[in-house]
Amino acid sequence: MNFIAFLSFSVLVIIILTLVFGIVAYFLYKMRERQRRKGSDVITYEELREESGRKFLFFDEVKV
Amino acid sequence: MRSLFFLIVLVVLSLFVVTTFYDVKNVFHTVESGFIRFAIILVAFFTFIIIFRYVAFIFFSIIKTTQKTVEFDVKNKHYNPRVTIIVPAYNEEVTIGVSIKSLVEQTYENLEIIIMDDGSSDSTYKIAKKFEGEFKGKTIKVLTKKNGGKSRALNFAIERSSGELVMCVDADSKLDKDAVALMVRYFQDPEISAVAGSVFVSNRVNVWTKLQALEYIEGLNMVRNAQAFLKLVNIIPGPIGMFRKSAINEVGGYAHDTYAEDCDLTLKLIQKEHKIDFEPDAVAHTEAPDELLNLLKQRYRWTRGILQAIRKHSHNLWNFKNANFTIVLWYMLFEAIFWPFMDLFTSMLLIYVSFSMGVNTLLIFWWFLFTIVDISGALYCILITNETKSLSFYAILYRLYFISVINISKIFATIEEWFNIEMSWGKLERKGI
Repeated sequence: MNFIAFLSFSVLVIIILTLVFGIVAYFLYKMRERQRRKGSDVITYEELREESGRKFLFFDEVKV
Repeated sequence: MRSLFFLIVLVVLSLFVVTTFYDVKNVFHTVESGFIRFAIILVAFFTFIIIFRYVAFIFFSIIKTTQKTVEFDVKNKHYNPRVTIIVPAYNEEVTIGVSIKSLVEQTYENLEIIIMDDGSSDSTYKIAKKFEGEFKGKTIKVLTKKNGGKSRALNFAIERSSGELVMCVDADSKLDKDAVALMVRYFQDPEISAVAGSVFVSNRVNVWTKLQALEYIEGLNMVRNAQAFLKLVNIIPGPIGMFRKSAINEVGGYAHDTYAEDCDLTLKLIQKEHKIDFEPDAVAHTEAPDELLNLLKQRYRWTRGILQAIRKHSHNLWNFKNANFTIVLWYMLFEAIFWPFMDLFTSMLLIYVSFSMGVNTLLIFWWFLFTIVDISGALYCILITNETKSLSFYAILYRLYFISVINISKIFATIEEWFNIEMSWGKLERKGI
């Protein structure tokens, strides 16, 4: 195998590996973003209170 | 010196073009499938366009640099309009202090600086507030509002600015001392409505950031310098851009419906036939993503943002009444969609040809062709910007590896934009390097 042919073969291997790597990296990025979004889906006290329609969540309102 | 450089590049490139196309011809005559033959013609045509694009950009960039030197010798040196620098900041506590300090150090005197906190949940506002007042003859104001996105924050600050010229600077950017003074000079020409500056990567800590450093000087700054020859710079970068306030008002300010508000504003200005120039020596140093996944996140947002901006103006793609605007739109479409898809298509074709006919020398010549273009572009930019020479070595990895990985992300972003898949701004975490 001459030098040019060896370099051509190396370029071919790099092209294939890069394509695979690029695709894997993209899906890793999407997966990470999805996990981060799930992690940030935290409901606040105010949102929960509005959702339940009650003035308090953990206490009962006492009429004096 | 520059002409000699251009001549050498042209000669070496011609040799490789001839060799590569000779190899392409051999492959073309060997294959029998009509589809593969068509694919080879398509790839050869695409390669020709890319090479032509690079050579044209280097050529126009050389002319523009020479022209600029002559231009400013005859202009009024006492032109001194009020400039407002606006720094939109959302959770930028790590970088905001350094950014403000670099602005206070500007050599230009008639300056107002507005730090626009966009409802940060960290201590950005608190840190910025410490700088409020008069510093070295410059007025610093710190404003805050409920979080509503970068474009709304910019519009809010522009409305409250006192400058005739408005400069928008990202909070993670650090400007060179003379950046404002260099950019202001262009506005003596009443036809100029905006000027873009150069962006350099400040955190060259690993191979990703070094490859981006090369990309910024060669792929972005050189291209803008060449576009400035026609006064048609197509994207004024977020880290450093100066505008005539009247022009921003004329086009209705920054829009809220894209993720690339800087690109959208530039397109609106070009649509209204405003001229946009570029000052290569006005430099902003910005922090680039130092991890691959963060880099993909940034490029994903850029691609979708640019596509959203093009889509907004897509009715002008066939309207040649404003030929400049139509050309800019087609050029952007080429860069955002055709190029990444053709790059992937070329790689697939090379793999197919190699597996069906054996590994061909075409592969190495094809790679050499692009690498010579990249090294030439990098060397030229290094020559005119005093950049680190070692960056040109990264050109070897640039085409074969870096651009391919980025292009795959661009292709997926394009597909997701096509199907309107929901996306979020995706703020990058800064390390303050």
